[in-house]
Amino acid sequence: MKNRLRVLRAEREWSQADLAQRLEVSRQSVNAIETGKFDPSLPLAFKLARLFEISIEEIFTDESSGAELEVR
Amino acid sequence: MICSSTNQAQRRFVRRMWVAAPLCILFSLAAALAVRHGHVTGVPAYLIAVFSALPILGAIVVTGLYLEEEKDEFQRNLLIQSMLAGIGATLAATEIWGNLENFIKAPHLDPIWVYPMFWVFVLLSYPVVRLRYR
Repeated sequence: MKNRLRVLRAEREWSQADLAQRLEVSRQSVNAIETGKFDPSLPLAFKLARLFEISIEEIFTDESSGAELEVR
Repeated sequence: MICSSTNQAQRRFVRRMWVAAPLCILFSLAAALAVRHGHVTGVPAYLIAVFSALPILGAIVVTGLYLEEEKDEFQRNLLIQSMLAGIGATLAATEIWGNLENFIKAPHLDPIWVYPMFWVFVLLSYPVVRLRYR
């Protein structure tokens, strides 16, 4: 799943460690989510959305959603 | 767990494992010595066999507690994947060795080594699993 975490973080001039501290997770977790190698659970996604004060959809993009819409 | 910065749950896990792991060795050694030198048979032999497995159950409980207490889902995921790799590698290794015992009369592998083998495989697979997320 693609996400805009790196951009959102950069806009606030937060390091990965800063964001990790705010989310109460490890820096490795933030890195894995940012690089799209690890998809967070819904509670963590909501936590991210609350932290950046935007909706989950504005952070994460479901890569398969476009293809599904075409099939419909 | 093999990490420069550890959280509270990880520190508790390591601390508890430092108690459970030596107990596993101690109980196994005590059981082996009791049976070998005490000539224990019958019901006491069964009881000693069960007794020596208790710290192993303890270590599993300690692992379960860690997974319960760890708030970082990514770290939980790393341990679960490492343990799955450990289970797979242990099953494969014991299957291969069992076949070698049957086919080419390889020396018998005492099942007592299966448990430490599992944790060795978990420890070996942990950094490999972490590398996938680099």
